[in-house]
Amino acid sequence: MLEIHNLTKIYRTGSVEFRALDDVSFTVPTGDMVCIMGKSGSGKSTLLRQLGLLDRPTSGEIILDDISVAKLSDDITSTLRLERLGYIFQEYALLAELTAHENVFLPGMMLSNEGIDYEKRAKDLLEMVGLKEKMHHYPKELSGGQQQRVAIARALINNPQVIFADEACANLDTISSKLVMDTLVNLNKDMKVTIVFVSHDPDDKQYARNLVVLSDGKLMPDEQL
Amino acid sequence: MKNQRIRNVVKSLKVAVFLAYKGIVRANIGVTLLTIFILILVALNLMFVPGLINGIVASANDKLINTYSSHLVIEAQGIKDQGYKITHVKNLMTAIQSINGVEAVTARNAVGTNISFKDKSNDDRKINCMTYGIMPEQEMKVFEVSDWLVEGSYLDDRDRDKILLGIQLAGTDQTNVELYSHSLRHVHAGDKVTITYNSGYVKQYTVKGIFRTGFIQTDLQAFITQLEYESIIPGTHDTATELHVRLDKDADPLEIMRRIAMFNSDVDFQTWQENAGIVNSMTTSFQLINGILDVVNALVAGITIFIITYVDVINKRRQIGIQRAIGIKNNAIIFAYLLRALCYVIVGLVVARLLFRFAIVPFEASHPFYFPFGAVYLALEIPLLVRTTVLLVIVSLVAAFIPVMLITRIKILDAIWG
Repeated sequence: MLEIHNLTKIYRTGSVEFRALDDVSFTVPTGDMVCIMGKSGSGKSTLLRQLGLLDRPTSGEIILDDISVAKLSDDITSTLRLERLGYIFQEYALLAELTAHENVFLPGMMLSNEGIDYEKRAKDLLEMVGLKEKMHHYPKELSGGQQQRVAIARALINNPQVIFADEACANLDTISSKLVMDTLVNLNKDMKVTIVFVSHDPDDKQYARNLVVLSDGKLMPDEQL
Repeated sequence: MKNQRIRNVVKSLKVAVFLAYKGIVRANIGVTLLTIFILILVALNLMFVPGLINGIVASANDKLINTYSSHLVIEAQGIKDQGYKITHVKNLMTAIQSINGVEAVTARNAVGTNISFKDKSNDDRKINCMTYGIMPEQEMKVFEVSDWLVEGSYLDDRDRDKILLGIQLAGTDQTNVELYSHSLRHVHAGDKVTITYNSGYVKQYTVKGIFRTGFIQTDLQAFITQLEYESIIPGTHDTATELHVRLDKDADPLEIMRRIAMFNSDVDFQTWQENAGIVNSMTTSFQLINGILDVVNALVAGITIFIITYVDVINKRRQIGIQRAIGIKNNAIIFAYLLRALCYVIVGLVVARLLFRFAIVPFEASHPFYFPFGAVYLALEIPLLVRTTVLLVIVSLVAAFIPVMLITRIKILDAIWG
């Protein structure tokens, strides 16, 4: 269960203040698939980054399985990202010096779970996203859709409780987008992974079971599918 | 808890080694070669100047030992000017020669003299100096003065009325001699000089040879034979003001001094280091210069490596942000960069060392630097090499650590998106 209480994010530049998130509260039940929608600049990505522990909110709370995680130290949030969360970036965010397999395997090297062969798991995950043949290719040798699927495989290496996907299909063509979204849906269905994804495409609503709509940093009430 | 922490450290190290390895093999080859090239230059700079200074000191020390003091000087206890002398010299020399580790021994009798010379223009020049009565045959086993003759020949044991002069006394029309203006200026082998001993006795001598060792203190000496000395100063048979002992390379001077003291307890000892007044002060000055150059070189090395790492880290800022975003610990990221820096610096040091050993040293040996005391050869001893290595490694690690640490301190989102 992911609970968000009164989440506010204010950016300050000199004396200018910009309220990117304004008192946002909602809950994501375990195993849910939630889509965060809104116009450009509405605060979708800002919200996802707070939830993915890549940034700290100005105020409010994020509770992951009864633990308040918003104000933990950098070291602990790093451990939480490593062990319990998965994050998919719009621009894939793969490491250029590593092959597809190494990109997926890298977080596994840091994980402390004994008895799990993360190297093999990385191969299995790449096979699952249909990239078995591209395992030893570097990111620049892959298409955008393939890179995003590598990023999905990487997000799954730690068997996460929640995956956050930030406009994961924004840079992809229609076929690749469908492939990526289908992959996320299957993960949610088959592996019961909670998925929170951001999209500006109204068609992506079809993949979600719940919808969060933001406008000017505020949650629009009673938005439903 | 402790085991968990150790496991985490090991995992971080594993990741760091992996990232460092990938960072090196996937790096731009041009940038890598340029980085290593700069480090080679920095390392060579750190080796060359101390190597040269070491060479100068070693050369000066060799000259001191081989022409002036030998390894060990034995003097009679008491004040030399008051005529204290070592007696039963022949027996003592035989005993010393029998000690394991002693290569040769010779005896000298010193006396204060004034040498005068009237040149072709009837200009009468005078100079005060110490003149030594020596045993030429033994002397050649201990010292190398006979190898540095610029005119004439060396003394024979049975020579009388003949004198050997250092070039700083004779001048020999060599205007480049350091103390030429104070010297007799125009004395050559075969010329006659007049010696006034401190007893007032005056005698004319033929200059048999002139030597120029390059070591000023030696070149300010004059030598006559012990036979001649005994004829001038009665009652000095089988005596000496000092004995000079040449030791084997691995001999222990302390043990040899202890053994000699068993034969004659009325003597004082001086090692060559204690005799090395001018060399010691030169060494101290060089060490100071070396220290200053070390600091400057370390700063240059540090700033160079800092700039290289900083540019690299700025270029990889986004990659570092991504690594942090997927949960790679900061210490693993920092350690990866330190390992890369360490790898580059080790390659730089090894290549620099090989270049120094197999290219620069042989080249310098065939085209040596010349100093007043002779040719100087680059000498890089192990402690100096270790110091250079440690210095460069520490500087590299610090210089690499700072930019990476700064990047890992900024927000992840700023690192990824700027």
